[in-house]
Amino acid sequence: MQWWTLFQKELIENVRNVKWVWVPLVMILLAVMDPLTNYYLPQIIDAAGGMPDDTEIQLPEYQPADVVMMSLGQFSSMGVLVIALMSMGVISGERKSGVSELILVKPVSYLNYITAKWASLALLTLVAFSLGMLASWYYINLLFGALSFGALLQVLLFYGLWLLLIVSISIFYNTLVKTPGLVAFLTIATVMLMGLVTTIFSHILEWSPNRISTYIQQMLTTGSVPSDLTGAAIVTLMMIVFLIFGSVYTFRKKELAS
Amino acid sequence: MALVTVEKLSKKYDSSPAVSQTSFQLTSGKCVALIGPNGAGKTTTLRMLSGLLKPTSGTIAFAGMSQNSDIRNSIGYLPQHPVFFKWMTGKEFLVYVSRLAYLSKPEALRRAKNLLERVGLAESANRRISKYSGGMKQRLGIAQAMIHQPMLLMLDEPVSSLDPIGRRDVLTLMEELKEDMTILFSTHILGDADEVSDEVLLMHEGKIIESGSMGELRQKYQTAKIKLGFDGDLRDYQEKVTALPTVIECYIQRDVLHVTVQNMTAARHDILTAASSEEWPLTSFAVNRASLEDMFMKAVNS
Repeated sequence: MQWWTLFQKELIENVRNVKWVWVPLVMILLAVMDPLTNYYLPQIIDAAGGMPDDTEIQLPEYQPADVVMMSLGQFSSMGVLVIALMSMGVISGERKSGVSELILVKPVSYLNYITAKWASLALLTLVAFSLGMLASWYYINLLFGALSFGALLQVLLFYGLWLLLIVSISIFYNTLVKTPGLVAFLTIATVMLMGLVTTIFSHILEWSPNRISTYIQQMLTTGSVPSDLTGAAIVTLMMIVFLIFGSVYTFRKKELAS
Repeated sequence: MALVTVEKLSKKYDSSPAVSQTSFQLTSGKCVALIGPNGAGKTTTLRMLSGLLKPTSGTIAFAGMSQNSDIRNSIGYLPQHPVFFKWMTGKEFLVYVSRLAYLSKPEALRRAKNLLERVGLAESANRRISKYSGGMKQRLGIAQAMIHQPMLLMLDEPVSSLDPIGRRDVLTLMEELKEDMTILFSTHILGDADEVSDEVLLMHEGKIIESGSMGELRQKYQTAKIKLGFDGDLRDYQEKVTALPTVIECYIQRDVLHVTVQNMTAARHDILTAASSEEWPLTSFAVNRASLEDMFMKAVNS
């Protein structure tokens, strides 16, 4: 099956260019960085020479939910950057180098081509993100208190959807422009712009994908899935589908050589 | 039988035409050379035929296929500077593209192995493409273009960037491939076209200005040419030669007198008679056939 051939090639490529090593490592690092530094802050301060004896430091008591949000906070900024960087050349780079001239004169379906690229990036993103959150979950249970595995799965599901949207945005820009750097820039700019629009029009954009992490916090504290989270998840899913088909459409319109 | 019929094909880039109103046919089973100087529109034409570019206007019709059907399974294309996935081995790349052309895995492996042998890459089959030399990449490029056994194989400047040995290899390979498929290749090196092609299309400033079999064109542009070498000052003899009745034109280039004549037999007689009676210090006398280059210059200028 052609789709499988394309998908397999992406997997092998990402293994050989060690994306399957560095992306998970960076994600794990991002996930455990804040929980660990916050937990060990007193020791870190001591090691750095300590504070004057009469200083009183009141360190907040973190709940497991707060710590999850620390990890997600890192993914919202640095994680987006990592995804934008790892996916920026996935199609545009092939067009820029000219290798797509060889591939796309073969009877390759554009739908297969785009969705195989998307799926390979989605898989890498989800695996790396899950590994990161598993590491974070491990330290949460060890250092901050119990968080159920069910809750972790819910976080993975909903936040994973948000990350897939970023992958889809990047794929879309990949079909639109030919310069990998520009793809990364446009992806990050779009995510930031969406955040800005969501903040400004917060009263009408309750189901904006950018609010998923806010609702996840609600979910963790109340223990039940807020209806707004379901709404935002559905909107995100629709946007992903729309972006994938939009990518196929723009790619079909494009001339493959220049 | 015409395999491909191109009618009034045009391509404009930002309003300046790269190819304008070009019509031609490709005969099934022939090796056709698309000749023209750099910038004549050869690559643009090939890219339109391969579907990489969309024509601004005009039609390309493949025999036995409707206008909108996917012709990509019936064509093979080698770009001028083929780029591969550097992290793949030559064999992996061939298997990959043949799988994309819907060949089964065992069939893909079998063909990749055969083709690697045929293009002389059997020993490098399992080396990364990043380690290949330019000639090896070109040969791998031809292999990937023909692995799904297309009806039409299009090669964009297949030998221009190669060293003499690589060039010889590729030309020999093309000579063999002629038996199995229709080949259309572009080149600006006229000698290469002369060597392997059955038919030529001369392209200049986006238009096909002449086409036909090599034999036909030779006949049409048959100008007999004689090259004379003299001891001493050529200019002394230029006038005398020009004065002969059968001579059309006579000019000096690099210590050789180039004489264009109307009738070879008569002219040869005239020149040799004059040479012997007036005791010209001739050092060489050579009769030239019309070369592709002459044809090309004539066609461009007319």
